[in-house]
Amino acid sequence: MAAPVPSYASRQRVRVSIALVLSATGGACHRAAPPAIRFLHTFSHEETELFNQTMAERGIAVEASLVPFSRGRQVIGEILRAGTDCPDLIRIDATWLPELVADGLVLELPRPLAARDWSPEAAALAQLDGVSWAVPQAVDGLLVVRDIATPAPASASLADVVAAARAARTAARRYPLDLRIDGYWFVPWLRDEGGELAAPGGIAGDVAVRAMTGFAALVGDVAPPPPSPGLEELDEGRLWTEHKIAYWITGPWQFYQLGDRSRIAVSPLAHAPRGGQLLVVPRCAKHPDDGWQLADELTSLAVESRFASRFATPPTRLAALAGAPGLSRASYDALRGAAMLPRRPLTPLLFDDLNAALAAVVAGNASPDEAAAGVQRAWQRLTRRAPP
Amino acid sequence: MTARPAGSASLRWRVLLALSLAAMLPTVVVGALAIMRARDDVAREVNRGARAHIRALGAVLDGTLQAAWRTVELAAATWADAPDDPRETQLLLRRLKADVPIIRAVSILDLDGQVRSGDPVPAKLDVGSHSYGGYVGDVEDSGGRPVVHLVVQARSRTGELIGVFVAGLDLEFVGKLISETQLQPGVRVIVVDGTGAVVASSEDRAAPAAAPTHRRSLAGVDPAVDRALGSTVEGTLSASGWVSTYRNLSSYQSHRGVRWAILHQQPERDAYAVARETTRDTLVIGGAALAIALALGWFFATRLTRPLAALARHADAIAAGSIDDPPPVRGPGEIGLLGERIDEMARRIAERAALQAALARGDRLASVGVMSAQVAHEINNPLTTVLGYAMLLQEGKPPGHPDREALQLIASEAERMKSIVGGLLEYARAHRKGARDLAASAGPTPGSCDPAAVLRHVGALLEPQLRRTRSSLAIDVTATAPVAIEAHALQQVLVNLGQNAAQAMAEARIEGGTLAITARPAPGGIATLITVTDEGPGVPPPDRARVFDPFFTTKAAGVGTGLGLAVCKHLVTTAGGSIEVGDGPGGRGAEFRVMIPNAP
Repeated sequence: MAAPVPSYASRQRVRVSIALVLSATGGACHRAAPPAIRFLHTFSHEETELFNQTMAERGIAVEASLVPFSRGRQVIGEILRAGTDCPDLIRIDATWLPELVADGLVLELPRPLAARDWSPEAAALAQLDGVSWAVPQAVDGLLVVRDIATPAPASASLADVVAAARAARTAARRYPLDLRIDGYWFVPWLRDEGGELAAPGGIAGDVAVRAMTGFAALVGDVAPPPPSPGLEELDEGRLWTEHKIAYWITGPWQFYQLGDRSRIAVSPLAHAPRGGQLLVVPRCAKHPDDGWQLADELTSLAVESRFASRFATPPTRLAALAGAPGLSRASYDALRGAAMLPRRPLTPLLFDDLNAALAAVVAGNASPDEAAAGVQRAWQRLTRRAPP
Repeated sequence: MTARPAGSASLRWRVLLALSLAAMLPTVVVGALAIMRARDDVAREVNRGARAHIRALGAVLDGTLQAAWRTVELAAATWADAPDDPRETQLLLRRLKADVPIIRAVSILDLDGQVRSGDPVPAKLDVGSHSYGGYVGDVEDSGGRPVVHLVVQARSRTGELIGVFVAGLDLEFVGKLISETQLQPGVRVIVVDGTGAVVASSEDRAAPAAAPTHRRSLAGVDPAVDRALGSTVEGTLSASGWVSTYRNLSSYQSHRGVRWAILHQQPERDAYAVARETTRDTLVIGGAALAIALALGWFFATRLTRPLAALARHADAIAAGSIDDPPPVRGPGEIGLLGERIDEMARRIAERAALQAALARGDRLASVGVMSAQVAHEINNPLTTVLGYAMLLQEGKPPGHPDREALQLIASEAERMKSIVGGLLEYARAHRKGARDLAASAGPTPGSCDPAAVLRHVGALLEPQLRRTRSSLAIDVTATAPVAIEAHALQQVLVNLGQNAAQAMAEARIEGGTLAITARPAPGGIATLITVTDEGPGVPPPDRARVFDPFFTTKAAGVGTGLGLAVCKHLVTTAGGSIEVGDGPGGRGAEFRVMIPNAP
């Protein structure tokens, strides 16, 4: 004889009872919840909001603290060296990794995470001398952005990019090529002349002078005069939106502010630098496993896809890349030919002096010779203080 | 069956429940909406006010720091033009302190980090050239005062680094700024640096002596501080009984962001006091409305269900057979109408019961009639023999013979018996013929006759009997259409009715009465109405429904057979007509109304 089937009302009573018991015990469970994962990051404004929203939606308790990118390397270094108030996970620029590894401040990447389907470019970012130290969170670098109706440069070479820009000059578009007066943007021109962003030899002699001369000559010719310091992103976004520029040398981090992405096309830039963002667990972390868990979550397919959809940046995992928006994949392809900056602790320190020297040349306050000599002296000083 | 008070009580509760729900649902919904709306509005206002406060405070704070930064940058650039002039350098540093009041100490360091001019600097201060031209550090405690170090690179015309300016900024102005702000009771404003350490707090002004010499950190302690340091913008967080509105100062300048945050915190009980009062008022008003609704519901439910209960009792009484009780509810409205309908229903039920009884009796009588007709047929011949021999024997006796009277009695009784038997046979014949006509009526042409001719013939037949009772006959025929009934059937009907009328007037000893027979078109022209009216005593209303039953008679015993009107009704209804009896004109006498359809 079959067992009697409980009525709907009785089943409903059982469900309600279970719900009441669960809700009554929920508080206890909540009280017993593990402490929040401490996360120090350098996300941009928009990335921070999406990160906070994502963590809230996924129910992950994170005590996040934002460090402005410009002070990130300094603040993170101070915290990790002090070792008293360490976060469980840190998001860093890839150029900061060599210094942290050299000082023994971060943990090696666990094997299961290292074995993930990272893109070769992402995996390379996280490695030093064949050892993985970080979870790659983003790949970026310089590429050429243009309106999809604008013809692509004949090739990725700097000469062809500049030539294409000149050809696109009109009365309403006096300066069709946009780039930033910054050491990072200067790298392709330096490399084009055979140099490299490496102290002290990379900036020496005619190589540096020719590179500075060529780079500075663009400003006022095909590139617009630089805006006030700190307003670069806003100014570049405005020029793009107003169709004042035809070719824009920039990175995927700026796609978020461009509005209609369907009109964006990208192409590679010869000698471009490639970098990215990494997630590292400090050696002084109180809960390193929690840190790796959060890194795992931040590079899950769902989260990577969400970030790629929102910002059109290239994901670091091949599976996420396959499902990413077209602009993300195009950016990834454009960046494949780019090369990382030298993986040395000194590399991020080189920009302060280079930026100022480039600004002086562009402003006409210094000749390329003077500026290059000054940078060389500064880099020699840095080398003396912190050997490369 | 007895009334069920529980049923009406249940109905009352249901009505009460329905009315209560009808009143409660809008009250609850509107109340909930009002509460939520009030809370949202209050939260929005609290948030807006707090944000306006911290935006203004943040703008002043950021503006002060940035102004100091720009001034020091300008000084550094000025110094870089002539770095080797000690007098100009000292003058520049003095002017810098004078122009920027929050600068407590200022120094120029050489490229090795050694103080070249000005005040001493903390030993662990990072003056490395990797800060994009300079930075504002985190807060430090200097003799009980919050201090932050501003580091600015001094570069030559060619962009080459030649020194570093370090300015110690006294943040007491932040505390003064907060203390000059009018805050609502319970509100506190806190400024924290990037580590969560308190730069200034409105609580310090309440107890300046207790102002912390060591800047306590709220990171990991106050969730709002964690939220503020983890965000790039402003927001609101309700946690731990506080409503916190925060703003990260990095939102003022993305590139050289000062890693601080400002928080405006207010106890939830104070922030949402207005909302709480609104909630309380809404609940009180809602409760009162609900109580009134319940009371009104009880009143109307009782008023509605009381007549229903009475009707239920009335229906039970009807079911128990008492149909003569007066209806309990009268008047307009649905319940009054329901009472009327129940009474109507009861009356129809009674009529139907009577009809069913009559039908049963009619069937029974029909059976009896058939049987009687058979018996009559069987005894008719012997009766004829008896009558014949009685008359023969009587004729054979001389007048005065003692047997002659007895034989006369036998003959008269036999004659009467033959009359009865004849009536029975007539009734039986009518029944059989009716069945045949009914079958024939399914055919295309039923029998028909001229009513005027039939009435004239009937008049001739009745004339002798009426003369004996000194009554007169009046025939009035205005109908000319043939009627759908056999002539002899209509003749028998009218003769029966006429004889009955004559007998009634004779028994009532009414002399000079008039028997009136009329035939005129019925309204609509599809039938002919024939009336037979006398001036006799009439038919009492209680007997009117039964006069057409077989063997029902009001005549004296031995006078009527009680079959005449039954035969009439049968013949008329078989022809598709109707017959009914009522009072004569002016309520005098009887009037039989025979309606016969016109022939097609």
